[in-house]
Amino acid sequence: MSLLIVKFEGSVLQKVRVNGAPITIGRGPDNSIAIDNLAVSSRHAQIKSEQGRLVIEDLDSLNGTFVNNQRVKRAALKGGDVVMVGKHSIYVDESDRGEAPVAEAKQSATLTKSVDETFVLDTEERRRLMQQIASTGERSQIAPSRVRVATLVRVQGPIDEAEYPLTGKLTVIGKSEMATVRLNGWFKPKVAAQINRRDDGYYLGRGDKAPTVNGSPISTPTLLKDGDLIEVCGVTLRFAIKE
Amino acid sequence: MEWDVAACTDKGVVRPANEDSFRISRDRSLFVLSDGMGGAANGEVASAIAVEAVIATTHENGSSAAPGKSMPRPEFSAHANDLVRSIESANRQIYEQALRDAASRGMGATIVAARITGSRLALAHVGDSRAYLLRANVLEQLTADHSLVAEQVRHGLMTSQQAAASELQSVLTRALGMDAKVEIDADEIELLPKDSLLLCSDGLTRMVSETEIAGILEQAPNSQMAAERLVQRANECGGHDNITVIVIRDSGRSKGWFARFFPFWCSNIV
Repeated sequence: MSLLIVKFEGSVLQKVRVNGAPITIGRGPDNSIAIDNLAVSSRHAQIKSEQGRLVIEDLDSLNGTFVNNQRVKRAALKGGDVVMVGKHSIYVDESDRGEAPVAEAKQSATLTKSVDETFVLDTEERRRLMQQIASTGERSQIAPSRVRVATLVRVQGPIDEAEYPLTGKLTVIGKSEMATVRLNGWFKPKVAAQINRRDDGYYLGRGDKAPTVNGSPISTPTLLKDGDLIEVCGVTLRFAIKE
Repeated sequence: MEWDVAACTDKGVVRPANEDSFRISRDRSLFVLSDGMGGAANGEVASAIAVEAVIATTHENGSSAAPGKSMPRPEFSAHANDLVRSIESANRQIYEQALRDAASRGMGATIVAARITGSRLALAHVGDSRAYLLRANVLEQLTADHSLVAEQVRHGLMTSQQAAASELQSVLTRALGMDAKVEIDADEIELLPKDSLLLCSDGLTRMVSETEIAGILEQAPNSQMAAERLVQRANECGGHDNITVIVIRDSGRSKGWFARFFPFWCSNIV
């Protein structure tokens, strides 16, 4: 039995077992392999079994169907072939012996799983991808590596600590008892300013006061860079990425 | 602080069924939302187990450690640790159900749970359901999605704009029910007067931009209308997935020092 493995940018999105019925490929959700991308026609191509061989047929799609980088109208497929539809690739695996786990067999039987249906990486695949991501993305502020910590360093002002590592999602500078940088004094606001850790970096936003970054007041949340000077309520802090 | 709370859920325009679930316990100020997955009827089974388990296993005063549970994290309050343990329990229940019943295999769910004690918010989540805080007209996401694209953004391999346009947004790195154990993110912050909180499934955030969400939360006169408008807007934008929102706003009815000292003068105001 053959297995079709649908991939996008190196990740496996779907596995479909060929078991007699034609496999349709297209943008619409009613296709066996549904690819929600404008480069793909609503009914783009189909793969069926003919005398024990797999045959792919392009259904007059706008952007074409490619087998091993050759545009085809109709072609026989063998193990190891790569079909390209838009930016998605479909690998033909002939080595499959049909011993799939129940969940996968069920999935290919219904043949309705579309690309935008949520699914979760299994433990093994997750570990592999995370390692891959971690090894290529060292330079980020957010990468949860033990050696790089975003920190607020006291430059001047009446605050308790010399350094405040930013460990939480939301860091508050103010009089609030849950503030990371605790301000003391009668007229200090509960939240003078706050720093939010977004996926792409640390953003300083206003609280009851508008803080300045390197001397200029901010109106909207501002991405902090290593070395930026933050001033609010008479306290000056330096944002630093510490090794 | 007193909270004006409302929730709204809809299956959207495209999906045949609603696999989201939510539960609210007003007396504990506990809010739980879950987005199920796993096809057929199983997604809704998983999300229902998730929210029920969190409601059932969260304790009145935050609990002491029970045998077999993970160690409490010292940086968090008892309430936050209790929330984390209740999500562990939800994970176990979904996982065990899937082991028992072949038809349920592969089912899973996201979860986002919030509990407010006084002015302190404890938050815990797994997956790509989100919590947002609207403070001083700025909407900040309080949760970090456990998705492949978010992971790539955090490592500087992708911009958030690229992530929002990616076809791989549905690939999660964590969910409940996949394994006997799950890693849960938790956080605690202090809430302030005029804050609004939003818990939502990805059916909202995939369809409606954060700027627009902020606008709807600011303009709606109350939580009920905000919740309904958010769901309606997601459907207007395509409604590709189930949409569930819980809106929690400071009602502004908590008494200030003036009212506390002079209740007689203020009784007809508050």
